[in-house]
Amino acid sequence: MSSDPYSAEVRALFAELAHAGDLAGAACAELDEQGVRIRLAATLRDGCLQAMRFRAWGCPHVLAACEAVCQQYEGRPAAGLEQFRASEIMGNLSIPVEKTGRILVIEDTVRSLGRSICDRSVPPES
Amino acid sequence: MVPEFIYLDFAASTPVDQRVAERMLECRASAYANPSSNHVAGRRSRDAIEEAGAELGALLNADPKTLIWTSGATESDNLAIAGAARYRAHRGKHLITMPTEHKAVTDVFRMLETRGFEVTWLEPDIRGQLDAGVLEAAIRPDTQLASIMYVNNETGVIQDIEALGNVCRANDVLFHVDAAQAVGKIPIDLSALPVDLVSLTGHKFYGPKGIGALYIADGPTCHVEPLFYGGGQQRRIRPGTLPTDLIAGLGLAARIAADRLHDDLEHLRALRSTFWSRIRGIDGLLVNGDPDSGFPGILNVSVADIEGESLLLSLEPLCVATGSACNSQVQEPSYVLRALGRSDLEAQSSIRFSFGRSTTVDEVEFAAEHYVKAIERLRALAPGAAA
Repeated sequence: MSSDPYSAEVRALFAELAHAGDLAGAACAELDEQGVRIRLAATLRDGCLQAMRFRAWGCPHVLAACEAVCQQYEGRPAAGLEQFRASEIMGNLSIPVEKTGRILVIEDTVRSLGRSICDRSVPPES
Repeated sequence: MVPEFIYLDFAASTPVDQRVAERMLECRASAYANPSSNHVAGRRSRDAIEEAGAELGALLNADPKTLIWTSGATESDNLAIAGAARYRAHRGKHLITMPTEHKAVTDVFRMLETRGFEVTWLEPDIRGQLDAGVLEAAIRPDTQLASIMYVNNETGVIQDIEALGNVCRANDVLFHVDAAQAVGKIPIDLSALPVDLVSLTGHKFYGPKGIGALYIADGPTCHVEPLFYGGGQQRRIRPGTLPTDLIAGLGLAARIAADRLHDDLEHLRALRSTFWSRIRGIDGLLVNGDPDSGFPGILNVSVADIEGESLLLSLEPLCVATGSACNSQVQEPSYVLRALGRSDLEAQSSIRFSFGRSTTVDEVEFAAEHYVKAIERLRALAPGAAA
């Protein structure tokens, strides 16, 4: 049993936040709730997420989860964003239950990004 | 090569001095008998305890008979505050302290508030200090006890104990001082200070954990009711078989501290000066407490726009504290820093760097560079940061 509050996965992601940053001309979603600020950005190609980046202000679990989301969805269909569930990433990263509220902010941001992309994709009515 | 860790948390606990550890081992082998026993082996244990009392008494310039051995500063604080309040309750039930005290003090006062005592909580000034005039104004005819800590465990702020004690003496109010962060670190002369009760613990000055003491000044009105019952040891104030090895260890730690006090302070001043010179240029850096007059072994700083938990993880392998280590299981902004006027955001990003005898200049320089880089990294991650 470890007294470390962070799983090995969280530590590894936090140490190497490769997807931190911005993307020019990307679709974006941003939330500021529960003491957490998150901005997600993505560019598209053929319905897939060509690149993803994030910026975040929050605890290590939040930063690691943002990095994990970007790693998970990059290259995959954008439609998947709206099915994202906080519980999945909490399980994968062994995030403690007391951090649920903060991870739900990530869920809201990811889904908001999905809707934003969907709105962009729908051609305007003639 | 990055070290496994760099320990900069000496305000939370210090490593046991090797000589202290050796003395304790020797004591376990040779002075294991119950010191209350009257046979030759018991007398050997008693002699070891008396020697330790003399060593601690010498550090504090106090008669060893005024020292009661306890399990540490928390017990000493409980015994002093609850014991004195109960002993003098027939004279009045008004008590005075500050919200910036350690939990071992504030929680006792909170308990007494539920038992019919009235407590006045005096706020510090912006530097964390209590003006003697503020204390005097709070004293009432029914005030029995004031408790003010010597060196603040989070900020290193040093109170003017002499001035505060004089106010208490002039008004017939018992004065308790939690000196856990002061004993063995700054010069203390109890024969000259106007104090009645002083708490201390061994592990803050390179002695063992699990042993401390309460100084109770010699005087007819200076007395405390015991917390425990079950034997006549230690003037019936604190019964229980004394841990000879721990006491002997604390005694030697006190002797070593007395010998090194001046050199230790100079070492700490140099370390803090080096560290401060490396970090002072950080934009938005706040110093919590008064760096000019505070204890040089502690430097507490905040950066308002940084998330504290991520900062702490980014600082690994540095072993530092956010707020009080005793309180770090509770993820809430430090009540001490909030009392100094810091916002929640400023308080939650606070980091306490505390240096010690074994800290090197190289370690301090590494720590400062690491701190600067961690802040730069976290700032760059935040939404709104310049790309």
